[in-house]
Amino acid sequence: MSDNRIELQMKKLQDEGKKAFITYITAGLPDYAATKAIIKAQEGITDVIELGIPFSDPTADGPVIQQASYEAILNGATLKKTFELMDELRSEGSTQPIVFMMYYNTIVNFGLNEFAGRCKSAGVDGLIVPDLPFEEQDALKDALSATDNATILIQLVSPISADRIPQILADAKGFVYCVSAMGVTGQGGTYHKDVTDYLKSVKSVSKIPVMMGFGIRTAADVEPMKDCIDGAIVGTHFINLLREAGFDSKAAAEYAGTFKKEMNSI
Amino acid sequence: MERMNKKAYYGEYGGQYVAESLMNVLDEIDKAFEEAIKDPEFIRQYNYYLKQYVGRETPLYFAERLSEKYGTKIYLKREDLNHTGAHKINNVMGQILLAKRMGKTKVIAETGAGQHGVATATGAALFGMECTVYMGEEDVKRQALNVMRMEMLGAKVESVRSGSNTLKDATNEAIRTWAKTAEDTFYIIGSAIGPYPYPKMVKEFQSIISREAKKQHMEAEGRLPDVVMACVGGGSNSIGMFADFIDEPSVELIGVEAAGKGIDTDEHAASMAKGRPGVLHGTRSYLLQDEDGNIQLAHSISAGLDYPGVGPEHAYLHDTGRAKYVPITDSEAMDALMELTRLEGIIPAIESAHAMAYAFKKAKEMTKDQSMIICLSGRGDKDVNTISDYLAGKGYLN
Repeated sequence: MSDNRIELQMKKLQDEGKKAFITYITAGLPDYAATKAIIKAQEGITDVIELGIPFSDPTADGPVIQQASYEAILNGATLKKTFELMDELRSEGSTQPIVFMMYYNTIVNFGLNEFAGRCKSAGVDGLIVPDLPFEEQDALKDALSATDNATILIQLVSPISADRIPQILADAKGFVYCVSAMGVTGQGGTYHKDVTDYLKSVKSVSKIPVMMGFGIRTAADVEPMKDCIDGAIVGTHFINLLREAGFDSKAAAEYAGTFKKEMNSI
Repeated sequence: MERMNKKAYYGEYGGQYVAESLMNVLDEIDKAFEEAIKDPEFIRQYNYYLKQYVGRETPLYFAERLSEKYGTKIYLKREDLNHTGAHKINNVMGQILLAKRMGKTKVIAETGAGQHGVATATGAALFGMECTVYMGEEDVKRQALNVMRMEMLGAKVESVRSGSNTLKDATNEAIRTWAKTAEDTFYIIGSAIGPYPYPKMVKEFQSIISREAKKQHMEAEGRLPDVVMACVGGGSNSIGMFADFIDEPSVELIGVEAAGKGIDTDEHAASMAKGRPGVLHGTRSYLLQDEDGNIQLAHSISAGLDYPGVGPEHAYLHDTGRAKYVPITDSEAMDALMELTRLEGIIPAIESAHAMAYAFKKAKEMTKDQSMIICLSGRGDKDVNTISDYLAGKGYLN
């Protein structure tokens, strides 16, 4: 049995018959103290936290996360400092499953083997790399397997992945990230026209939990597809909400608690 | 390491670093492109528009006064004489015919100097397609004339305000829009960059430059040139100028990068001289980046060279030593621009003036019986405001 925190949490939810809830925050926005507080406040509520490593050219992101990345970089956020934040969280006993959401150049620049080693030592449970499609993953997978796969590479699928889905899911681990719409993050609830059929087709071949992300704000947004997903990911809306609340960690915990409760009762 | 995606690579450069939602799109483009270039009817159409609409073939002009002054034979491949004023139209004609063939009704493009934007807007007008061009806010200011031309041609120009407000950011925005709209929209990339098969397509459709030049030089001199030279931003005119000479080992290939205020300052666009391999805009190549892997701002007086990366095949030609890449500063380029203007009566684009500047240096090592071809990639009409500000000592935007 794997001791990866994502896989353990997914197993637990499956046993309880519950859906997973995942939030996204940009590391270092507005500063690392706030990021740490927001992560800690969600412990035991949010099932997985996606921690965005800011990059200068985030081509998979819409305006809200672009702006968040830009501000975080100006405030000094880096991969190195984010690893240090992870060290602190783990040494303080946090068992929160955490995945890094980052662009491939940040990894290449750090060095693939160094990166994989540091992910393991810092307790990073998974990676989401939106500009690294299946065909380009060999080098990173090699580096991760050299650390006994301590860190999982999460696979993404899109509404037009079609015949690519079985190959992508063959060795997928943790959960599969289904993008609900074409394009970039944060498009406010306008899913792809064939979203339900697409999610069903993923669900039918996936051996691991299926999560939907892009454009979700409330549990009601996922109600129509509740039977074909195992959970939801909220990014852009979560950043907006945190901004409005002055990055108050209590607001993060309240929102996550409400979403999770509502999602599991629909 | 054996790569799964081998055909997309030039050595260790290239690839397809895009969102999953674009992978099937790239696959469709790749299949359609490979079919099209083997289809005699497609090639006939492409050649027809290049001849009757673009005005090819372009002359290989023997620059008499420059040759005399610099003591070697200097030939200029006159891409500046193409319709719309630069080599960019060669590639646009190819890609837009491909878009039509694939049944797409809309095209998008990124542009730096505006030449690729104008060429795309022109092709879209010709074939009745809807066109949106993404252009950095800074470039919109520098190249107001080209913005007006695009709008006259019926294109929508989206001024991009993020990051450095130049070509890099315009490309980010074009990629985002493409990912959203790929089901009915074709992205016409103008530089030799982007995910595979884009670098291959751009090379294919720009290689007409070297095919013509090789034949023309044989007719004029009865042999191959000794040196072939072109400026390099993303690298479209240079890959087209090199293409037919890559397998001719006697021909020295030289790419000229923009050194801005100097490669030892922070203000240049010399990604080969000062960059490191990384991944941007769907491809792995040399990139200007900081210690955290964030992409740095490029600087050049020439908007068309103001890009922090370079096409993957250039990175490969650089590493294998088949081509040499050299930097030229803003002021060297501007001096060369004036020299060409005064001696030959040709006002070149500032981009092309970078290649001229190195040609004058290189000529010193050459004899009067040797010859070189320089790709005069575009004309300087679009640059008169920048040139006049520069000559008045006012500096320039960016």
